[in-house]
Parts: sequence; C-alpha cells; structure tokens
Amino acid sequence: MAIEEAAVPETTTKRAFVPTPRGWVARGAVWAAIAWFVLCYPGNFLSPFEVRSLEADAATQAIVFAVIALSLNVLIGYAGQISLGHQAFVGFGSFSSAYVVTDLEQEFWMGLVVAALVGAIQAVVLGAVALRLSGLYFALITLSYGVMAEESIFNIESFTGGDAGKDAPRPIGFESNYRYYYLCLGILAVVLWIDWRMMRTKGGRALLALRENPRVAASLGINVKAFTLLAFAVGGAFAGIGGSLLAHRDLTVVRVNFEFRLALVFVLMTVVGGLRSRSGVVLGAAFFALLGNGKLLDLLHLGWFFEDKLSLPIDFVPLVVGPLLLLLTLTMYPGGIGQQIAPVREWLLGKRFDRHAGKVKEVQITDVRA
Amino acid sequence: MIVAAAPLSEQLGNALVIGVITGAVYSLLAVGIVLVYKASGVFNFAQGEFGTVAVYLAYVASDGNYWGLPFGIALVIGLAGAVALGLLTERLVIRPLFDAPRVTLLVATAGVALFAIGVQFWRFNDPAIRSFPAIFKESARITVLGIRISDQRILILLVLAALAVVLVAFFRSPLGLAVLAASQEPVASELVGVSVRKISSLTWALAALFGGLAGILQAAPNGGIGSFQPGFLTFGGNGALIPGFTAAVLGGMGSLPGAVGGGLIIGVVEALGGLSLFEEVPGARSVMVFGILLLVLLVRPQGLFVRRAAH
Repeated sequence: MAIEEAAVPETTTKRAFVPTPRGWVARGAVWAAIAWFVLCYPGNFLSPFEVRSLEADAATQAIVFAVIALSLNVLIGYAGQISLGHQAFVGFGSFSSAYVVTDLEQEFWMGLVVAALVGAIQAVVLGAVALRLSGLYFALITLSYGVMAEESIFNIESFTGGDAGKDAPRPIGFESNYRYYYLCLGILAVVLWIDWRMMRTKGGRALLALRENPRVAASLGINVKAFTLLAFAVGGAFAGIGGSLLAHRDLTVVRVNFEFRLALVFVLMTVVGGLRSRSGVVLGAAFFALLGNGKLLDLLHLGWFFEDKLSLPIDFVPLVVGPLLLLLTLTMYPGGIGQQIAPVREWLLGKRFDRHAGKVKEVQITDVRA
Repeated sequence: MIVAAAPLSEQLGNALVIGVITGAVYSLLAVGIVLVYKASGVFNFAQGEFGTVAVYLAYVASDGNYWGLPFGIALVIGLAGAVALGLLTERLVIRPLFDAPRVTLLVATAGVALFAIGVQFWRFNDPAIRSFPAIFKESARITVLGIRISDQRILILLVLAALAVVLVAFFRSPLGLAVLAASQEPVASELVGVSVRKISSLTWALAALFGGLAGILQAAPNGGIGSFQPGFLTFGGNGALIPGFTAAVLGGMGSLPGAVGGGLIIGVVEALGGLSLFEEVPGARSVMVFGILLLVLLVRPQGLFVRRAAH
C-alpha cells in the first residue's frame, strides 16, 4: 500500500474524498448509535429499555467470545496455522485463573496474568513441535492436545476440582453482571488495541509477509520460525485471557464446559467473522455467542417461527442454523462478515460508500502452507 | 473390559486383541480421511458424520417404529445415504470452494459435520441414546490369546481386510490410476482426458462409503455396547474421528496402507492406556495417543510407513 501511495505524485489534481458536513453528521449519528448499543444499552444508562441481569451476562459471553476469536484470528489469520484445540487453551486459562484466585488466594488480576502466560507457553511449546513440519500439522497436534487436556489434565482433582469444578469469584467491585460486562469490554478493548498495534510493528509486517510466502520472507531476512512463534505466543495469551474472563463470568469452572465441540464453534465464529478483519471477527464471535445462548432469537422475536413452523426446539436452533449459515457464508462470501460489512466500515471511517469495498484479493492467498 | 486384578501378561494380550479390533474401525475412518486428503487436500471433519448418517438411516429403515424394513436392506439404505451425503458435500461445499484457502475448506467440512449432528439432535433427541440391532446373534466362536472374540468383531477385521484388498486392486486399475494422477497433477490429468471433477466425486463417494461402514460397525453391538447417539463418532468417549486423524498422520497422511497400519497401532496404544498399570493417570488413553503423535512428529515426521524423506 505504502509503495502505491508514494508512486502517485502529490501534484495530481485528483483530491481525496472528503465527506460533506451532512455526511459527517450522518456518520457521527451511526457512531453514536453503535457506542450507545455497546456502552449504554447493556448497563441500562440513558436507555428506555430494561436489560435484565441475565441478558447482560449473555452480552458478557459475546465479549469473551470476541477475545477468544481474536486469539484464533492471530493464529489462523496472521500466522496461517489452525488451532483445533482451542478449548484446551481457553480451558487451561480458566482453570489456572481459578486456581490462582481460589487456592493461592491472589487477586483476580494476578489470575488474568497467569492465565495469559500459561496460554502463551502452551501455544509456543506445541507450535515449536508443529513448526518442524509444514502445513496442517499444528491443527493435528492441537486437536490431539485438546482431547488429551480434556480427558486428562482437566481431570486432575487438585487443579480443577474434578467434576464439581473450581470456584472463580469475580474481582471486588465487579460482582454484578452489569459491572462485569464493562470489565470484559475494557479488556476486549485492550486486546483489540494490542492486536492493532502489533500488526503495525515490524513483527506484524513480518507475519503478513511470511504467511503469503514463507520462502520469499525468509530470503528477505525474516526469521520465519521466530515470528511464527511470536504469533503463537500472542494468540495463546489472548486465549488464556479469554479463558480467565470466561471462568470468572461463570463463577465456577467445570470440566465438561471444555469439550471439543467448543473448539469447532471457536473456529466457525472466527472464519465466519472473516480472518484478518478485527471488526468482522468481533461481530462473528458475538453472533455465535448470542445464537448459542438463545438471546439473539429473543432479541429478534424469531423463536415462534422455529418452534411452531418447523417444530425445531429453540435449544437446537444454533446447532442446525449455525452450520447452515456458515456454509452459506463460506460458499458465497469467503471473506466472512468482515467482507459483508466492509462498505459500511469504510463509510464510517470517512470514505465514500462503496458497495464493492472489501472485495479485494484479501482472501485469495493460501492461508495454510499445506 | 479389562479386569484390574488380572496379571500383566494377560492384560497385555487382552489389550493387543481389543486394540487391533478398535483400531480396525480407526483404520476405516483413516482410509477415508486419506482418500479425501489426496483428492481435495482437505482434512475432512465430516468423515465421522458420514458414519453417523449411515447409522441413523439404517436404524430408521430397520426399526419397527419407523419403516420396519429387513435388516440387510436397511444397511444398504444406510450406506447409500452416507454416499449421498459424501456426493452432496463434494458438490455443494467442496467444489464451490475449490480455489479457497485450505483452512476455509477445513472449516466448511466441520460445518457439514456440525450440521449433520444438529439434525440428528433435532430429530432423534428423545431418547438421545438408542441401540442398534445386532448384526449377528451374540456369539463368540473364536478364541485368541485366551479371549473370546464375538462374530461382530471378526466381521470388523474381515471388512478391513476385504477393503484393503479392494483398494490395492482399485489403485492398480485404470480408474484408480486416474484418481492418483488427478490428485498429483490435476491440470496434466485434464490434458490427458481424466475428468478431475468426476474423480473428485468418486473419491468423496468412496470415502463416505468407508465412513458409513465404520459407523455401522462402531454402532452395532460389540460385545455388550451397542448404543449410539447424535454425533457419537465425532465427539465423546466412543469418538473415532480424532484417533482416525492421528492414524492418518502416523501413516504419513498420504499413504493408504499407512492409514490402515496407523489405525491398528493407535487402537493398540489406546488399549495399552487401559492397563491397570496406568490406573492412577486420569485419561491415560488420550495421553497415550497424544504422546505417540508427539513422538512420531518429533522423530519420524514423514510418517511411519513412508520411505521418502521429510520435506
């Protein structure tokens, strides 16, 4: 991009598009609506609606899933490696955080940091083994690791509390569902910021280069292994943070919550969200989280349609409809939600409304070096 | 299962026999996975669901509450259903995504699997756990290493052996050679008159057929346990998909004999995890499977049965 801009002489008559004052007002109004929906609506500030405590909890789940999806986005989107054992990374983070807070009687923040560290270490160790080979082996090793963790590590009574689970109290001052929502929102903002800044550093650029072509990247002096491991570390840390937030949201961490099924949902929401599109990934995660806990159908008043017309119980809607939506998204919009919302996003950022925005070659690169 | 008090040698023999039989089902799945991987370059997560679809169709066809057809016809209907799902997946999901990144394809097959599981949950949730009719009246005529093996288990081994013979013969035939050629050089194959599309459909149909066989053999009463539930091949304690994948890697991901051998090894290793020696270790079976995968990737990454050097 930078090269193209430099190639155009500054004296060209073609001026950059600047929105009219009315255009700015319209954009501002949409921004305000989004901010209201995210910041005020769940907490019942300045809002004519009454959001119940349980619904705020559901919104928290959407936020936590967004953190987890961003972690997968680092692995799949930036490093080009699929993790199919993400339920284990997240679960390990959950249990570590709960262990630190409950057994070691430390602060919640300590638990969060430990969970992030544990997540990073796991990802780096598994990644180091997988990097000895090319292609889809990281997927396999994480797959096998996930099942192993689920059946073995999460069964160690002293660490995970066995079938009864482990208590994970919320930090002081954030006990209510509403307040915990804002805590998670703040952490999501930090994660988004780290992600954004990381892709602007040398490391981020190196990652983009080596995903497109590791050989060319290596010949340019990029240490392919080191930077891929960096991506693993960052992705693993995000997963750990997501796990910690999930643990303290539920107040108890139970082993059965971390099944392989969850790993598939994580991958689905990230890819449907659109790899390398932060806004798309966050929306995809929120969509799948709210579909999974049934709040989306409540919000849209669609429950009757499935129950009465299709005799499909609401509990099974996400299981049947989610994958169908996924397949439709994949075959028709390979860039996922990120591609679909690209025109609106560009418009909001002060560009012209362009229906074809986001249809660039972004998604044509071979993501996994198979 | 294994009695904790039995001496170690007896336990070992038991693990070996049981392991080979469980492993045979893994081999069947692994063969399907490798076939698809060779043809489309994708890790097919729907492989297990080809099996469950066959099981549910055969169940619906044979059960008195539904269609009540003879068992043999029901089995054929089940397998045909699996093949149909394989063909549909190839046509509606894989082909439109031909140029998409591999990760997208992988997610798409996971989507097919989740959709199949969702429909099973929707239609067959009450009761969730059902029992499959026995293929044979429970009888055990053969004894190996002091263990009586039911006819059902012998059948699993026979099916695997027959499959191996058929596959070897198939890949020597012109059609089989065309499949190999299309997987290695799609463009060149088109030039010499091989229809890559038809070959792709054929491979998916074959893989789905093997998946269906694996599903029916896993669901049928197997010395006591004969129950199945939605998605039972993909998730849960009876799940065969992940061992199947591990088996395929053990065999080097591209080798069919390797997949068969890998499945048998995974079966035995998993059974060894059930020895009373490892009673204290929680989830010893999955630790063993993960351990052997790590070991192979560290020591012999090109697969156990492949002679060419690692790339």
